[in-house]
Amino acid sequence: MDLALTDEQRAVRQAFAAVFAKESAPPRVREVEAVGFDPQLWSTVHGMGAIDVGIPLAWGGGGGGLLELCLIAEEAGRRVAPIPFAGSAAAARLCVEVGAGDLVASILDGSQLVSMTTRQLAFSNQLLADGAVADVMLALEGDRLVANYRPVGIRTKPNLGGLPAARWEPDHQEELAAGPEAVYAYERACDAVRLLRAAELVGLAAEAIEIGASYARERRAFGTPIGTFQAVAHPLADAVTANDGAQLLVYKAAWALEENLPVGPRLATMAFVFAAEVSSSAAQHSLHIHGGYGFTEEYDIQLYYRRAKAWVTAVGDPKRELLTLADRLFGPVE
Amino acid sequence: MDFREPAHWADIRAEAQQFVADHVTHEMIAEELKTGDGVSRPLMRALGNRGWIVPTWPKDEGGAGLDAFDASVLMSTIRASGAPTIGPGTTTLPANAIRTLGSAELQAAILPDVAAGETLICLGYTEPEGGSDIFACKTRAERDGDQWRINGQKMFTTFAHRADYCFLLTRTDPQSVGPAGLTMFLVPMATAGIEFQAVRTLGYERTNIVYYSDVWVDDSFRIGEADGGLAVIRAALEAEQNVAPTSRTSQLAEAATRWASTTRTSDGRLVIDDPLHRQRLARLAIDAEVTELLGLRTAYIDQLGGKPGPLAALFGPETYVSWASEMLDMVGPDGLVPWTEPDAALDGAFEYHYRSAVATTIYGGTSEVLRSLIAEQRLGLPRSRPKH
Repeated sequence: MDLALTDEQRAVRQAFAAVFAKESAPPRVREVEAVGFDPQLWSTVHGMGAIDVGIPLAWGGGGGGLLELCLIAEEAGRRVAPIPFAGSAAAARLCVEVGAGDLVASILDGSQLVSMTTRQLAFSNQLLADGAVADVMLALEGDRLVANYRPVGIRTKPNLGGLPAARWEPDHQEELAAGPEAVYAYERACDAVRLLRAAELVGLAAEAIEIGASYARERRAFGTPIGTFQAVAHPLADAVTANDGAQLLVYKAAWALEENLPVGPRLATMAFVFAAEVSSSAAQHSLHIHGGYGFTEEYDIQLYYRRAKAWVTAVGDPKRELLTLADRLFGPVE
Repeated sequence: MDFREPAHWADIRAEAQQFVADHVTHEMIAEELKTGDGVSRPLMRALGNRGWIVPTWPKDEGGAGLDAFDASVLMSTIRASGAPTIGPGTTTLPANAIRTLGSAELQAAILPDVAAGETLICLGYTEPEGGSDIFACKTRAERDGDQWRINGQKMFTTFAHRADYCFLLTRTDPQSVGPAGLTMFLVPMATAGIEFQAVRTLGYERTNIVYYSDVWVDDSFRIGEADGGLAVIRAALEAEQNVAPTSRTSQLAEAATRWASTTRTSDGRLVIDDPLHRQRLARLAIDAEVTELLGLRTAYIDQLGGKPGPLAALFGPETYVSWASEMLDMVGPDGLVPWTEPDAALDGAFEYHYRSAVATTIYGGTSEVLRSLIAEQRLGLPRSRPKH
């Protein structure tokens, strides 16, 4: 039993926290919002090994694991960084899992951005959350895991969350694997996407809470800082408490999946569902603390409020995930 | 990070379960449900024999030399049996305060008997008009030579009628208000001038109002400095709020899942196969897991000598209350029948949880007080309660 990060893990967290704080500050996030992607930031964090760290040493990666990826995701979420981290980090590991060597090489050298979809709809019917910037989107068709290549000339579809989303028919397609093993690998990768998304949401919620708390410390009404009002302070206390729980769930799920424990998948689902709830209500309350200002574009809290919802919707419906969780906990229905 | 349970926890649980099998009888549990005292003297002695009243104390002080983690695994296993542990559990709070802040004489007189399970100490903090504002204390102690004369009234002194001592908060400086001018005493309950009045609760627990009329206490029973009681009670309160919580969210989740997996609806389907109930139980499982994780982290930080804050003490009880309610919706009218009736669903577990859960968000600091502490300590928000 050890709930502490290693020195290396702390160093990873600090390094990425510093970069995101500097290069994903609110003005920059706003600047690229229409595209939903900051190529410069992507190139910086890719160069720091953000994706490599999740790839085994034998494949030329950094030999880290899901926990390291979760720490990076958390820091990205804290600054609502406009990069498709969860999808691409999980897709890279899926490529390794099915032995797609060329794709892994292109991910490592940065020549292609590879992401994946977690929605089980027909590919061309769905809005692909990372579709405007991913060169390749992995998807499951029946029991075939396929790589769909993006055609040229695709632009970001305007959306609530500033996601680099788009809808397209593949330019061409390549089958990476087929059969039960392909399905299994894809499902584990979907667990990884939702887990990394949960980590991003934990970071998002932590910063949303801090934005609200800092406003409540400064803003005065009725002759006193509004943080002295319990109706303002107490929901923030609930939020920070629940978000600590979400963070622990994320870490435990990352550990369990990495160790291949049977509880891994259920913990990943728990982390996603819980972080989705917590980040949504935290961002909502923090916005509300700002009163009318919270409704204006000028205040940063709205960036968090919109993403708290969009980042969830992009990868799953929490209530449906509860049914998945039930299957994982109680077994399928008789 | 490693969330794996240390291998020896299974041994601790097995040992605790063997202890329960040997010492916790059906009669003891039935007696507890009837009286609500939270005390069984034979159980206390049996715990004391093993060093389990104060499991984290060294063996030569009558403890078991366990670390905070091991102790919490041990005690939660014993608590889960339904054994009356409120009395000995509460006793450890003043005992720890005496162990760090009491005089050598008082330590020698009290602590060995506490560890042996012979001594029971109740808490005299709250007053009828005080509630969460314990520093509004009006109970007076006046010095007269080597003696103190105490007059006042305390509320919610659970197991006062069974206790040997009360860890009593008094005001010794009549000019003072708020947290200044207070003094803590360990008052022998056999002293003349102490009277109780039973207060029945809705959660099968009995508590008491205690009246102190010209109660004379020797100065040797003072803990800490005269007028310096704040340091003593603060240590005891922080210990209470920073311990892993006694929320039974996980117990409720287990019970409800067991019931739903073995009960069929009128159309012959298992309750747990109904999508509505599956969603409920899966969501409850998340809150149970988070409760356990926050509790685990509390023990972990405590172990490292840090102050984890009352996050676990807020989350566990709050979720316990809301799920105790929702599980009755799921079980339906059968869940309303208490343990005394043979046809009660799962031996009346759901009725019991609904009754008793609500107290867990009140004692040891109401959720409102805990939220204020978290807002101040974690988020740096200004103090919201008026200063005295």
